[in-house]
Amino acid sequence: MKSFNPSESAAALAGITEVPTLCPYCGVGCALSYGVDADGTIHYARGRDGASNAERLCVKGRYGFDYAAHPQRLTKPLIRRESAYPRGPLSQFSQIDSSGPRKAGGIVDYTEVMPHFREASWEEALERIAEGFTRVRTNGGPHAMAGFGSAKGSNEEAYLFQKFMRTVIGTNNVDHCTRLCHASSVYALIEGIGSGAVTNVVRDIENAEVAILAGCNPTANHPVAASFMKQAAAAGTDLLAVNVRRPGIADYCSQYCQIKPGSDVAFYNAVMHVIIAEDLHDKAFIETRTEGFAELKAMVEEYPPAVGERLSGVPAEEIIAFARQLGQARSAMIFWGMGISQHVFGTDNARCLIALALLTGNIGRPGTGLHPLRGQNNVQGASDAGLIPMYYPGYQSVADAEVRKRFESLWGVDLPDTPGLTTAEITHAALEGDIRGLYCMGENPFLSDPDINRVREALASLDFLVVQDLFITETAEFADVILPASAFMEKCGTFTNTDRRVQKSQPVRQPPGEARQDWHILRDLAQRMGHDWNYPDESAVFDEFVKAAPLYANLSHTNIGETGRWYPCPHPDSQGERLLFADTFPIGRGRFVPAQLGTAPDLPDNDYPFILNTGRQLEHWHTGVMTRRSRALDAIAPKARVELHPDDARKLGVANEEWVELASRRGSVQVQALLTRDVAPGTLFLPMHFREAAANLLTSPALDPFGKIPEFKICAVAVNALSEVS
Amino acid sequence: MSDVSLTIDGVEVTVPEGTTIWEAAARYGIEIPVLCHDPRLEPVGVCRICAVDVGERTLPAACVRHVEAGMNVITANTEITAHRRILTELMLSDQPEQSRREATTGDDSLYALARELKVSDFPWPDAKSSSNPPRGQDDSSPVIAVDHQACILCDRCVRACDDIQHNDVITRTGKGHSVRIGFDLDVPMAESSCVSCGECVAVCPTGALTHQFLGETS
Repeated sequence: MKSFNPSESAAALAGITEVPTLCPYCGVGCALSYGVDADGTIHYARGRDGASNAERLCVKGRYGFDYAAHPQRLTKPLIRRESAYPRGPLSQFSQIDSSGPRKAGGIVDYTEVMPHFREASWEEALERIAEGFTRVRTNGGPHAMAGFGSAKGSNEEAYLFQKFMRTVIGTNNVDHCTRLCHASSVYALIEGIGSGAVTNVVRDIENAEVAILAGCNPTANHPVAASFMKQAAAAGTDLLAVNVRRPGIADYCSQYCQIKPGSDVAFYNAVMHVIIAEDLHDKAFIETRTEGFAELKAMVEEYPPAVGERLSGVPAEEIIAFARQLGQARSAMIFWGMGISQHVFGTDNARCLIALALLTGNIGRPGTGLHPLRGQNNVQGASDAGLIPMYYPGYQSVADAEVRKRFESLWGVDLPDTPGLTTAEITHAALEGDIRGLYCMGENPFLSDPDINRVREALASLDFLVVQDLFITETAEFADVILPASAFMEKCGTFTNTDRRVQKSQPVRQPPGEARQDWHILRDLAQRMGHDWNYPDESAVFDEFVKAAPLYANLSHTNIGETGRWYPCPHPDSQGERLLFADTFPIGRGRFVPAQLGTAPDLPDNDYPFILNTGRQLEHWHTGVMTRRSRALDAIAPKARVELHPDDARKLGVANEEWVELASRRGSVQVQALLTRDVAPGTLFLPMHFREAAANLLTSPALDPFGKIPEFKICAVAVNALSEVS
Repeated sequence: MSDVSLTIDGVEVTVPEGTTIWEAAARYGIEIPVLCHDPRLEPVGVCRICAVDVGERTLPAACVRHVEAGMNVITANTEITAHRRILTELMLSDQPEQSRREATTGDDSLYALARELKVSDFPWPDAKSSSNPPRGQDDSSPVIAVDHQACILCDRCVRACDDIQHNDVITRTGKGHSVRIGFDLDVPMAESSCVSCGECVAVCPTGALTHQFLGETS
């Protein structure tokens, strides 16, 4: 360049407005701005200085925003044609015994599915739904209906959805994907300390001497939170990872313990054994803040390090080193993920971590606390808003007559007095014939729930199914009516992140065609079914939610503003509480709940010699409905691969990228192998996002007895090379 | 830590000891132009655009120089502006004809500086047309475009990758005129351990690291 003579300002900026909003993906809840033009086309995302992200973003937030503008967005209500009954799967993939097409980019094939639906007016679609719901209720009573809301929707939408199911339909059968995520953690937390949310925020890890990363893979699933963990490690925090599969963050940890699948309780009991034996427990904290120590002590006495080693596979000296590091630390935080919660003994696993924090006095001070890393951007908020079968908004029990009376007067209707069914129980009840109608708002149980073959039968057996979503999902193939809904970028609403921070989104584009705001659909349906729902806007819905749930007291759309606030929020001008329980717990004293090592239901034998673990990967989101329609994310990670240890691969005669068949006692999939030492010999890892290698065809529907969460992490499989296929 | 009082452009300023001149000025609303520094990063003082006059023989870089009691800082005068202009012209002299940043997110800091300094023709030879070969591009990543020719070696991306996101992917490679940023052991970005977080794009002040075209699918 010899001279500089560009225009006055950059051409790219002409007509672009940066709208402050949030990332639609994970529970970290990064604040960002979208650069949007007048047509609502998003050109780029820029990180904002949010409380949880400090301008940082990850690949999904930075590059995964284009799904909202995908040409497959639903733009009109669809009604199933008469010829498409009896109800059943419509695409090749969804047929029984199909193991899926062996091709990348496997989203629902519209050319296969669309001919079985016809476009309809909103008037016709809503009328048909009102009739359908009424018919199910008349024939089978209100508890023959169930609803799945979504942790992808706003607090306002979650609140209205549960209110719709409880007041308009008259059942507590309402749940969402928290049941597949942290239901067991929430159960253990409410039991142990009286609150189901985190006690401290992620970024306070900078004040922790030690942080335990239990059964979580934050560099893939909470990447921006992981950046703060790695930053803390660089500044001197010792990270201790415990996992069956080596997480990326292990590179930054001072210790990584690779435990055997399902042995968490043995490992942590052995750690507690050492802490007590070496007198490293916080006796003052135990004395003044807890109860049940004697019972815990008696239980962990059975787990000396040698027993811990035998059960967990971690050498005794490593267990001792781990215990000393934690026991001697002046402050420690405990983070955990699905490796803890998604087990039939998930509640017991979480109980051990809570006990570990109580034992070492690591709650209520800077650099300490319990932090279950919440998955969806609004899984905390959706649970807070009562989108769960046993609680009204704010974790108020539906079985408590006093509470129920208060909600009856707030909502002006009689309410059912029995807790409802959870996600997996609803599938089961549908198979039993007890659930006849289902309303799915933004959930895709066909891919997200365990044992898809069973889910398929359950969906096919329903009398009436309504799916409200952005795209035709696998679940929508079974629907009577499909309603076109709104994407995150089209919504105004509040979303509560893993740190309990309530933040507000702003619409940057209009829903396409005749697609509508989810909360407008709920309002219109309620009105059509005889309920006088009149909310002028989202903030009025939020105000009613706050009135119903004292947990959110002092918050409003106005004071949340562009930067958000934490709950609990002691007064309207407060930023909210980052750190909870400095002096006492909501239940007074924290409870030690001792746990004995349990047995997984679906263990290997000669026919199914491997243990399959399922989970997520950095570039994709859950059932892939969004991320597989993002050009960038799909280009970076176009296909499923099963992680296989090289030693096992050699025995099986499988090379990297070669095809294998995985078969469990319930189903089979064909997928390419990725050889890596991240997984232990005898174990495999398959991401859940890819329908053409749907991990949940394999998984078992067994449930945790407390949290009712399925066992997604242990499932016996056989692996066979498919070398004839290229 | 005790406080230090000094004067910046005639304004009495009091800041904690150990504060840099750049930070102290920013705290009092005085903007000192800079390319290699970002408040989220440890300063390295390599671009020298933020040079200021503190009454010494040379012009120190405000982003790395700590405040001293009684210091009298001038952030802009004829000499400083001439210095910034020459540096800006030199950096522009081997920039590509088009800035990819101007065309994507529109926030090319080098272009903004050149506009502010009213740079037009300059006498320096076009570095690309001399005996130096072009530095090349790396379009292997589906999301991040790399144009080494636009890189001014400010190390912002290196520090963002190492110290903000802690992914430790970006570093420097080569010697002399061929120095450029590299990924892992100098492999194409898509083959490196890069996780595509885009933090390097967010901090890059020029068209060296930009978003690939991501226009919504049609």
